[in-house]
Amino acid sequence: MKKNLFAIVAIVMALSLSSCNYNTLVEKQEAVESAWSQVENVYQRRADLIPNLVNTVKGYAAHEQETLEGVIEARSKATQITVSADDLTEENIKRFQAAQGELQQALGKLLAITENYPDLKANENFRDLQAQLEGTENRITVERQKFNETVKDYNTSIRKFPTNIYAGWFGFEKKGYFEAQAGAEKAPEVKF
Amino acid sequence: MRFLMKNNIVKSLAVMLLLCVSMIVQAQVPDAPNPPRLVNDFAGVFSAEQVKVLEDSLVRFSKKTSNQVTIVTVNDLGGMEASQFAYEIGEKWGVGGSKNNNGVVILIKPKTDTKGQAFIATGYGVEGVLPDASCSRIVNNEMIPEFKQNAYFRGVVRALNIILPVLANEYSVEEYEGGELNGIFFGLFIVLVGMLFVFILVYMSSNGNDNDNSRNGNSGTFGGRDQGSDIATAILLGSLLGGGRSSGRSGGSFGGGSFGGFGGFGGGSFGGGGAGGSW
Repeated sequence: MKKNLFAIVAIVMALSLSSCNYNTLVEKQEAVESAWSQVENVYQRRADLIPNLVNTVKGYAAHEQETLEGVIEARSKATQITVSADDLTEENIKRFQAAQGELQQALGKLLAITENYPDLKANENFRDLQAQLEGTENRITVERQKFNETVKDYNTSIRKFPTNIYAGWFGFEKKGYFEAQAGAEKAPEVKF
Repeated sequence: MRFLMKNNIVKSLAVMLLLCVSMIVQAQVPDAPNPPRLVNDFAGVFSAEQVKVLEDSLVRFSKKTSNQVTIVTVNDLGGMEASQFAYEIGEKWGVGGSKNNNGVVILIKPKTDTKGQAFIATGYGVEGVLPDASCSRIVNNEMIPEFKQNAYFRGVVRALNIILPVLANEYSVEEYEGGELNGIFFGLFIVLVGMLFVFILVYMSSNGNDNDNSRNGNSGTFGGRDQGSDIATAILLGSLLGGGRSSGRSGGSFGGGSFGGFGGFGGGSFGGGGAGGSW
């Protein structure tokens, strides 16, 4: 009985205080989720480029086995960690970011050793891959930035009065950000 | 618990600081030009004539195909990567239509004391037709060889020579290629000529000024204004833009009189696509 009363009061409050606010929250949550799917897309795009990159490098620098394997391993680890759009907690994003950061480091190492192979650097296919990889890193930066902006907007909304009172009841939880990480998150330097 | 809260406060402060920094960084990208224009030669690498020729052809191209290509030259990237600078211009100015996101930013930082850099940034909608690898090839094979010899105009024209037809194939308001006049193509061509004819009539009657609109869809040249020396550059651009690549193509779409000024950027969005190079 008490529970029912509580629910009724909650609904009445939500409706009377700001009925449109609930809808706004839904919209903002949707925006966060779609921004997240964009983030996943660009990371997937990077993962998709890697087999081709590794194969191309292998053709010229086969004895850099260790670095190549490092990339493959980091890739498979990174692709295993996915975060569903309705579970974007701080910890989950941190986990996701850490795995992708490792891949980024492994890739940076791989690109660094390619400097020692002029034949490889002159290879048209490799140059294309380099451009694609660089573009993907740029996309990752952009989509992460856009994601953070939508999350900031959403997080601000659910913490504002009076929304903060009932946001939790409807499952509007605070969502996590991407954080700048020294070193690990720096895009690998690709020079022409 | 207390420690956790403290940690959270520190974190949110860090996030805020980051946002502030990113805002400061954004402030370094020049504002959208007012009145809007597509050629923004802040570095002054083009002559007034060249700016006019580029502007006219790009405005005409945007009206014809809805694609917006903007050229920006700056002497200082404000400490940013060329890719970031070009992206932020695209996003901030809203280059391209908001529906198709079909904008392209060609950024040039001429070689001064510091190295020269060029970057082609693509809007979301043109990433498919202008993939990063293509942008990279255009920058490295078409632009930089000319830029190395200080031929900025030529380099840009060579790049546009590739970019514009590709864009027109993806999003075109009217038929653009007009090369093989067979079947449907021929029908479209007739319609185009008809429309052009009507347009010329309207233009002439509204302007009362018999300019030069006698060109038809077939001339490979850039039938623009007839003001003296302008025409030399115009023909150069026209032949490069139109007939330069394949003899079978007419490249006719670049003719016609002045269509009036550029109407403004359309609110297109960018996702970080594109590629560049340096020299």
